Amino acid sequence: MAEVLWHLTSPAENWEHMRDTVLGRYLKGSIILVLGTGTLSLLIGVSTAWLVACCEFPGRKIFEWLLILPLAIPTYIAAYAYFDLLDRLTPLLIWVRTNFSQDAMTWLNDMMLYPVTIVVLAAVLYPYVYLVARATFTQQSNQCMEAAHTLGHGPYSTFWRVALPMARPAIIGGVALVIMETLSDYGAVEHFNVPTFTTGIFRTWLSMGDLQGALRLAACLMALILLFLMLEKWLRFGAKFHKNSQADRPFQRYKLGQTKAGLAILCCMIPLVIGFLLPLSRLTYWASLTAGKTLDSTFWSLTLNSITVATISGLATVVIALFLAYSARYFDSQTVGATNRLAILGYAVPGAVIAIGILLVAEQLNSATNLILTNSLTALVLAYIVRFLAVAWQPIDSGMERNCTQLNNAAQSLGVTSLRSLFELNIPMLRNALVAGSLFVFVDTMKELPLTLILRPANFETLSTRTFDLAKQAQIPESSVPALCIILVSLVPVIWLNQQIRHSKQ
Amino acid sequence: MNLLALQTVTKRYTATDSPAVDKVSFDCEKGEIVALIGGSGSGKTTLLRIIAGLAIPDTGKVILEGNTLNSPTKFIPPEKRNCSLVFQDYALFPNKTVLQNITFGKGATDNPDRIIELMEMADIVGLGQRHPHEISGGQQQRVALVRALATSPALLLLDEPLSHLDPELRESVRNQLIMLFHETRTTALFVSHDIEDAMSMADRMVVLREGQTEQTGNPDELYRRPASRYVARLFGKTDFIPAELLQETVHSIPGKNDLGQVVPVRPYQWRIVDKDFTGIPVFHGTVKSVTNRAPHRELLLDTGQLQLTMYLPGNHVAKCGDTLSVIFDSEN
Repeated sequence: MAEVLWHLTSPAENWEHMRDTVLGRYLKGSIILVLGTGTLSLLIGVSTAWLVACCEFPGRKIFEWLLILPLAIPTYIAAYAYFDLLDRLTPLLIWVRTNFSQDAMTWLNDMMLYPVTIVVLAAVLYPYVYLVARATFTQQSNQCMEAAHTLGHGPYSTFWRVALPMARPAIIGGVALVIMETLSDYGAVEHFNVPTFTTGIFRTWLSMGDLQGALRLAACLMALILLFLMLEKWLRFGAKFHKNSQADRPFQRYKLGQTKAGLAILCCMIPLVIGFLLPLSRLTYWASLTAGKTLDSTFWSLTLNSITVATISGLATVVIALFLAYSARYFDSQTVGATNRLAILGYAVPGAVIAIGILLVAEQLNSATNLILTNSLTALVLAYIVRFLAVAWQPIDSGMERNCTQLNNAAQSLGVTSLRSLFELNIPMLRNALVAGSLFVFVDTMKELPLTLILRPANFETLSTRTFDLAKQAQIPESSVPALCIILVSLVPVIWLNQQIRHSKQ
Repeated sequence: MNLLALQTVTKRYTATDSPAVDKVSFDCEKGEIVALIGGSGSGKTTLLRIIAGLAIPDTGKVILEGNTLNSPTKFIPPEKRNCSLVFQDYALFPNKTVLQNITFGKGATDNPDRIIELMEMADIVGLGQRHPHEISGGQQQRVALVRALATSPALLLLDEPLSHLDPELRESVRNQLIMLFHETRTTALFVSHDIEDAMSMADRMVVLREGQTEQTGNPDELYRRPASRYVARLFGKTDFIPAELLQETVHSIPGKNDLGQVVPVRPYQWRIVDKDFTGIPVFHGTVKSVTNRAPHRELLLDTGQLQLTMYLPGNHVAKCGDTLSVIFDSEN
């Protein structure tokens, strides 16, 4: 990442040209997408979470976990599922051109582009907000909400004046995740032809072969992300998470009348249908048509590729995360702590940016040693580790904080070496977190697209690149088979995550 | 030679706040049982963690068996120190059985006979194959204790050893601990906020207040001759009577804001006398309240100048508004 930022200051020949022509468009596209997707995810996530957590209506229990499912669909696959959405608008565009002008049509086309992309992105990204909002509504603000009722506030007033302000820090955290995902998306924006930084990076690097220019764009994107991260910190400032230890008693949910219950069901159905049911059924339908053609030996070999790479990076990431989290505690030093914080920043960095950074490091290493690292599997796995370290680190670190701090102290006090307490205490105690961490990284690697596209060795295909390639060749129905495989694998941790949350509630 | 010596140990958590531990010095002799007493935030647990090596002091020295453990230039990690800490919540390893817990420490398996002996003494012989969550709180406490003793530490540190036990269990565990310490000739340093625990177990007490040593001495000394109002109050309700109002030459301490000397008087040191009693100063007052605190009744007497707290003898009847005369009886 530092490598990329550093290049913001280095010279590049095409830069002047790019700055004048395309940079503004990329910036505008990225920002519109971020604002739109962020707002829409916020609305869907918070409203569904409120309904499911605090209201009682038929089907509430089912919606509670169904609403998480869109998380299993990567943004680019959602976009492919709706590939013809914009085409359907073509008659309208033609009508505008014949009745008004060419400019009006271009304007309308631009106008339609963003809402469609935003809806598709928000439909699969809103669960990030939903999950945290639901958790805070059910667990954290419980007692305060009861207090508000006894003080004479009705449901609406309680929501706006108590529950929402209390959940604010968590919700902002969820929105931040949505924004990071939006900024790092490549497949969906490429498909809908929205100019963003990620599409810019690809265009500059792959079509024009201009690594310096791509680096510059990556640096701009990083600057934008840092800006959002600071904004997030600022918005969360002053609000600590309140952990209510006595929140065991369930909240008495608001009973909804028939009309309101109907509206609530509708409110939960819409995101579920757009974000999960419709894409899944379309893909399944296409897959049933094309399975005979696509399920050949190459398909099995690329599935094997995906699984191998994902397994290696899942295991390696967990080992590194465990090492980082443990050494931060054991050495209790500033440097190790800072390394930890730096290492987990990788998740905020879009795959395309990491790929460019790794490319650069690999090229420098190529000239320094005789090894060819560029486009090797090693570089690819390394990039996955950088990108997903935070995913594995988070559960391990919090598990260690919660379960192991005192035990490690006790072991030390009994004169036991650090290595022995790592193997005999921490690893057995953290078994769940370790499994979860490697599972999450495994799935994220399977889904990952932009980084894989840039760094994969020649002729090395995975499920995600195959999906992308087929879609790019306008063979969307054919791409549905690998896409479905990815979704099915992704469902595993989503369901597991939901179980975990439910378990912690009891 | 002292087994443990602390020399002007200071520890700050943040640069701006007052230190958690402020220039504390005291010694521990071999075989002694020492209690660190103080309210919450007095720095007692921090001090214990410093000795165990789990916290690093800013300045000062910690010396154990003649070896410097902590000094401005030196830090011996906890696992290399010849002392063992029993945690307040026991910190038993949940993934290991009781026996595995006990034999986990360094050198714990060197002497199997000692382990059996310790387990017998602590009455946990039958529990070896169970996991920590399958045994009771009192048993967990004893397992933690045996686990610490199994490493044959020169010094045993205990953080609030009795705080998690209910009152009934407390009494018996307390006696068991004293017995165990004496039988194993252990030098122990324990932290407590409960004066009763400290009084009954310790040979010597160190009273901490806001990170500083307030007073050091054996329990009797502290009880009879507290050095400050803070120490006097540790032992329960105490009235502070200006020394000039009492004729007797008794132990007195500086009063509030250092205004003259005051004498600490415990509730049962007041004796009810006839109204016309003479010889020593008599306090006359009206009864403000009577509270039943079985086995005594506590009575608040207002003399106009002072509020006196006293226990009413069993045969006495008094109600609000009555007038009473009392004298200070230091022998009581």
